[in-house]
Amino acid sequence: MTAQPIKSEPVTQPESMTGAAAVVRALELAGTEYVFGYPGGAIMPVYDALPGSQLKHILVRHEQAAALAADAYARVTGKAGVCMATSGPGATNLVTGIANAFMDSVPLIAITGQTQTAMMGTDAFQEIDTFGITLPIVKHSFLVRDPAEIFNVFAEAFAVATQGRPGPVLIDLPKDVMQASFAVSPQNDHRARSTPWPDLDPALIEQASALIAASRRPVLYFGGGIAISRSEAALRAFHSRTGIPAVATLKGLGGLPTETPDFLGMLGMHGTRAANLAVNESDLLICAGARFDDRATGRLASFAPHAKVIHIDADASEISKLRHADIAIGGDMAKVLDALRPGPLSIAPWREHCAQNKTRWAMRYDAPGKGVFAPALLNELSRRAGDELIMTCDVGQHQMWVAQHCRFSRPQAHLTSAGLGTMGFGIPAGIGALFAEPKSTVITVTGDGSIMMNIHELATIKRYRLPLKILLLDNSQLGMVRQWQELFFEENFSEVDLYDNPDFAEIARAFGLEAFTVDRREEVDGAIDRLLSATGPILAHVRIDPRENVWPLVPPGASNSDMMEA
Amino acid sequence: MSNRIEIDFTRSEGAVLRLIGLVERKGFDVCSVDMPETGPGPARLTLGVSPRDASRRMDVLGRHVAKMYGVTAVRSEATREPCLERAS
Repeated sequence: MTAQPIKSEPVTQPESMTGAAAVVRALELAGTEYVFGYPGGAIMPVYDALPGSQLKHILVRHEQAAALAADAYARVTGKAGVCMATSGPGATNLVTGIANAFMDSVPLIAITGQTQTAMMGTDAFQEIDTFGITLPIVKHSFLVRDPAEIFNVFAEAFAVATQGRPGPVLIDLPKDVMQASFAVSPQNDHRARSTPWPDLDPALIEQASALIAASRRPVLYFGGGIAISRSEAALRAFHSRTGIPAVATLKGLGGLPTETPDFLGMLGMHGTRAANLAVNESDLLICAGARFDDRATGRLASFAPHAKVIHIDADASEISKLRHADIAIGGDMAKVLDALRPGPLSIAPWREHCAQNKTRWAMRYDAPGKGVFAPALLNELSRRAGDELIMTCDVGQHQMWVAQHCRFSRPQAHLTSAGLGTMGFGIPAGIGALFAEPKSTVITVTGDGSIMMNIHELATIKRYRLPLKILLLDNSQLGMVRQWQELFFEENFSEVDLYDNPDFAEIARAFGLEAFTVDRREEVDGAIDRLLSATGPILAHVRIDPRENVWPLVPPGASNSDMMEA
Repeated sequence: MSNRIEIDFTRSEGAVLRLIGLVERKGFDVCSVDMPETGPGPARLTLGVSPRDASRRMDVLGRHVAKMYGVTAVRSEATREPCLERAS
């Protein structure tokens, strides 16, 4: 992640200012444009200081949505997203969003109000130990006890959140600290530390290049680290000059455009057979910005059993954490990929073999019946949306269909809750993406389970007239759970039937959105046209077969080579 | 086999809790804690730790600890006896 530009000139402010005014000024100096938040008692001094500032506050309807929208804003812009809430329940409602950013390495600044300092530890009204609750899910956190620290704390927070492997930083602000005035001194300037990447080790680069040159069955396995570090150009150049067959993790999708020759698709539990076979047969894995996550590897002991590993990652603690790396290269992803020059490779038969597998096991869209086949709909929608597409999705079967069947031209085109798997991510992420890139075609794909987690954010969409296009795939089930109960729990269907869903189109209309319902396959073309041509917010409610499953599938605990098909 | 990990860090609110919590979350039992009394500034925390299973490695733990904010140095060494016996 590129460090966020931070101004370093001394603050030229009145001699005295309140802590709250300092918070607002510190955010402005950090280059913050949007703050996603929800006011309440302890954070009121900051809200009091907002009017007249350069900050644009986006009022959501639940604090979780503030964190998730800020998360998506950060993923698209590369800058830290900022969210804000009051103490107690405001802060605890942020927790899922903070955890989401932590798991997916997203730079996020979470600002929370806190009860006044003298009352802390007395179980005061809306007092909760936000600092303690969030310790395991932040990159760092600050509890500010002196308003004079605010400028330095915010400078540090933005630097920590954005540099190295990004992550969320919490700043907890007691109310009295916000209300207190302090003398602005020359030391109250906004100086962020900058941590340079370590220099590349030429010997390691040479060893890695030699290993690649000697390989006959190499696979490029890339992940979310490419998007985080904005290294897609370096990845594409490396791939172009080597032609090494490539596979992506869920978060890596878009690193190479979907249609790239030698790109075999997503690997892992719901990956393509061609991708999993290539990894299984490879003699060398070049792992770039991925972390051998269990959803990608299946049974770790049998993952890429014949392969040596070159592991490139910004975070040294990920290297050899789960799979031994024969060559470990930490540091700036783009520089490492640019430096790798293995020369001409002798992999033509291997590329041909992988290409044949890709063709043989290509996804099919000729499903029988007259109902809507979600994979075909998603494939067509993403192709028609073109390079301006940003697709945000929720969690469940539709999330995997999006990953399997949609076309992505860049990493920022696919925003998904990968590590935490947060149902409810989709709509707030769509909101954040639209503030990040208002001219992009932003589509949220959701399910009838997920949409109910944050359906109140339709009000935010309406309030800010956001042209979000929502595709709701409704199977009246918690589909992924139902699928697992069918396959792995002897069809003991337990608490997955959502037969009593409301009329989603009516709900959307009640919030002021255009909405319509689709039941039949013959309606799909028109539905896509209507979605893409809409100038305002719109929801397409699409009913699909509740028995439809996500294929292929690696059963839990199995090897990736043991994929199940329909 | 148990291990001792020695962490040099800058004292700040929550730092000790943060360090011990990380060690526990990464799959190690914390069996002993030693930290000399210091004022603000540099401090040293020494923990006796024992991995909860064979997949937990001290070098990986050391890298996790080393990247934490305020940590300036990490050293670890093996000791003779496990500091906590687990039922097999």
